[in-house]
Amino acid sequence: MLAPLSWLKEYVDIKLSPKELSEKLTEVGLSTEKIIRQGDDVIFDFEVTPNRPDLLSILGIAREIAAIESKNIKFPFPGALLTHPKGVIEGLKPKKNLPIKIQTDSKINPRFTGIIIDGIKVQESPDWLKERLIKIGQRPINNIVDITNYVMFELGNPIHAFDYKKIGGSLMKVHQAKGTELFTSVDGVSYHLPKNAVVISDTDQIIDLCGIKGGLNTGTYDKTKTIFLRVPVEVPVLIRRTSMSLGLRSEASSIFERGVNAGGTVDALKRCVELILDTAGGEIASGLFDIKREDFKPWNVDINLERLNKILGIEIPKTKVVDILERLNLEVEKINNTKLEITVPTYRNDLKIEEDIIEEVARLYGYNNFSKTLPIGEIPTQKVPYFKDYLIDEKVKNLLKASGFSEIYSYSLISENDLSSFDINSDKVLRVDNPVSREFEYLRPTLKINLLKALLQNKPNFEKINLFELGKVYLGRTLDEAKEEYRLCGISNNKSFYEIKGILERLLEELSIDEDPSKFIEIINEGVIFEISYSDLLNKMKPGKIFKPIPKYPPVIEDLTISINEKIPTKEIAEEIIKQNPLIESVSFKSMYKDNRTFHIVYQNSEGNLATKEVAKIRGKIIEALKQKFKAKVT
Amino acid sequence: MEEELIQIKNSAVSLILDAKDKRELDDLKIRFLGRSGRLTLAIRELSKLPKEKRPEIGRLANEVKNTIEETIFEKESRLTKQRSQKLKEKIDITIPGIKPLIGHLHPLSQVLYNVIDVFKSLGFQTADGPEIETDKYNFGVLNFPKDHPARDTQQTLFLDTHNSKHTPGETILRTHTSTMQGRIMEKIKPPFRVIVPGKVFRYEQTDSSHGFEFWQFEGYAVDKNITFTDLMGTLDYFVRKFFGESTKIKFASHNFPFTEPSLEGYVSCVVCKEKGCNFCKQSGWVEVLGGGMIHPNVLNNVGIDPSRWQGFAFGTGLSRLATLKFQMDDLRLLTNPDLRILNQF
Repeated sequence: MLAPLSWLKEYVDIKLSPKELSEKLTEVGLSTEKIIRQGDDVIFDFEVTPNRPDLLSILGIAREIAAIESKNIKFPFPGALLTHPKGVIEGLKPKKNLPIKIQTDSKINPRFTGIIIDGIKVQESPDWLKERLIKIGQRPINNIVDITNYVMFELGNPIHAFDYKKIGGSLMKVHQAKGTELFTSVDGVSYHLPKNAVVISDTDQIIDLCGIKGGLNTGTYDKTKTIFLRVPVEVPVLIRRTSMSLGLRSEASSIFERGVNAGGTVDALKRCVELILDTAGGEIASGLFDIKREDFKPWNVDINLERLNKILGIEIPKTKVVDILERLNLEVEKINNTKLEITVPTYRNDLKIEEDIIEEVARLYGYNNFSKTLPIGEIPTQKVPYFKDYLIDEKVKNLLKASGFSEIYSYSLISENDLSSFDINSDKVLRVDNPVSREFEYLRPTLKINLLKALLQNKPNFEKINLFELGKVYLGRTLDEAKEEYRLCGISNNKSFYEIKGILERLLEELSIDEDPSKFIEIINEGVIFEISYSDLLNKMKPGKIFKPIPKYPPVIEDLTISINEKIPTKEIAEEIIKQNPLIESVSFKSMYKDNRTFHIVYQNSEGNLATKEVAKIRGKIIEALKQKFKAKVT
Repeated sequence: MEEELIQIKNSAVSLILDAKDKRELDDLKIRFLGRSGRLTLAIRELSKLPKEKRPEIGRLANEVKNTIEETIFEKESRLTKQRSQKLKEKIDITIPGIKPLIGHLHPLSQVLYNVIDVFKSLGFQTADGPEIETDKYNFGVLNFPKDHPARDTQQTLFLDTHNSKHTPGETILRTHTSTMQGRIMEKIKPPFRVIVPGKVFRYEQTDSSHGFEFWQFEGYAVDKNITFTDLMGTLDYFVRKFFGESTKIKFASHNFPFTEPSLEGYVSCVVCKEKGCNFCKQSGWVEVLGGGMIHPNVLNNVGIDPSRWQGFAFGTGLSRLATLKFQMDDLRLLTNPDLRILNQF
């Protein structure tokens, strides 16, 4: 929202420098995106939060400034119109009374305020008006359109002017579109309307897309002599749905979808009529139409000062609370010592419950005037649902780091090409309906794709590349089967299969998991890659470690070399050896040369010393078993 | 006898001090203290002395023995040092060391574990939840009405629902970690303190400060008397622990549908310390946090009575914390696997 300082100053005295003003407004929730100096004026670009439609108007921003500076708002209106030589609205007795038939439905159009003005002269706007509109980024069109725009920016109620003579049958019927009807907006763009869009039709055609854009067929042009002004209250949800579905937004639609000031339509109409009579001439040619669902009066919210202090954590004296609320034009009535009844003006429809009022008090009190405390009381110890112990992740990552791997974080979203490079059919992968680009359309079913890409990216600069990622993959062919799983994936272009296997063995040991990691490792053109379901590891992991006393008696350790068929897996041989006697504490593979394999055997008796004879007997049994089973020979 | 002992001491000490190397020293050790060493033999003679003289001479003998042993020990360590010094003189110690090949933890991980440490010290537990989410937990529970412009602040990526029982538009990639407010709170009774880190997704074009995928963490605490000043104090404690004791925090009012009152937290710029620089766009401050008191509608939605319990919630971008902490000027550096970046951490 653009707001020129000169315009704001019409409603409130401002002594602060633009920078000070911007800082103060930011602190109360209206932050400045930019301060633009333009000639001798300063234009603020404010970022308005979705809960504050009132701040989409110059008056609204002026009120906020008045509140923080404890100043009063100066109103150049309404009332001007009541004494206007050309007529008054309340108790209006217009000389002319042109016919118009309004059919509306308060469910889709809660308030319809309107009037007819006849005998206007459409021309270029006066300089002051054009300049103001240009300052806030609007393109001047003609005096009528410009005034409706101006009043919308000034007061926050959107207004539309129809060329009265082009309204077929003098009928304005508010209804919802059936869908697919063609509508051409004032700017000449055609749209197929979505079902339930709120529109106005005359006897022949749709003339207005309510709350969003007026129709080309009834717009105000040079030859227009008579206009119908409509100041509506629209249903936010209906406006937003239509606007989203058409991808069509306007200043008006962003006000309506946030919730317009429903009590402000008549004032806005008065202001608009006043300016039109002054700049375009003409006279009022109908009574005031104000068809409404309810009176749209200010409402009450009760607040309890004890609760206010309990939530904020500081004691704000009652007089201070009342002062703040009154600065915000919230009327305060004291019910008793701790209870206040607040009356909320209709332009603050964000204030509905006690907490909303508490926020008003807090932000005007000044967040940076609050003390800072830490939660007191006992630290809750019950384990929370979805608990995750990040220390385990850290341990695993540090182990990989110590083994030479560097960690990457990559995108979960990948492209169809990425998938096909790994021979994965994209039909069987979860997909985003509205991707930001085709590059990021599918949810990765494996981490390998990004790891390989990362390795290739680093190749020109590094000889030895070792990378890993701990992240989620997204499994399932359709959403019904969707499952998220943490994976641990790594790639190396310089470590051997056995080195990778060793690292993973060490990692599994760290988690007390007894498993052979070979199945997770793949040898590819670029090196060695591994991927493990980390979620599985966390499930299989055994908690804690239990100390085993160290043996009291010395072990006997020897290496045994056998000649054996190369195709027999080492694991089977080792298992065969250890089976031979319980005194064999461990068997590990030591080396391999042609068909010779050497095993490192540890014999251990926890009850006493092992005699050489005893060991020789076991060794004999081992040799015999290997000969029988694998036709092995001792060399 | 007395004289002999003193002579042994003097000659031993001077010989030991003159010893050139370890071997000479070992020889001297045997010559004086060995089984047939001079001192050992002399001590053996003690028994031949008259009884009344024995204690005094015995003490002297002991003293001599201690002196010799100490001298040997000192000489030994001096020789070892000299030897190592000589060995070092033979090599060029200015040649850089041979570093073990170890990798690097990603800056995001370093930041994450740092954050977790700080909040653990305040009694917060850690949790983790799904990234594929429903409209309900991402928006509904959090008081974002359907068809409300508040949703514009979090443009959403919707999942393809074809061949599934899911309604289009209902299943999404979570836009914030606040989804875990509803998921956890509906399953637990207060009091509790939790933080939830995780990846989030937005329908957003990528530039130096925006991305369609980034990392956040969410924290919240509910108890009988958790206040707005507690939120401010907690965030103040966090930024000082995380960015350094001298870091300042200031607050501004803001609007989030799921908190009331709401705030934004700005920290003093880590680069220029409030002076204003390119990094903080000359303002001296950087916006990093959002939070507030949990909205009573949210508490009601998860079955917690807002008249009995109250609490705060806050969230921030882990990615943002990382770029600030390490003074990185582009969010995209965090998803770039270039080792020239990673090797710096």
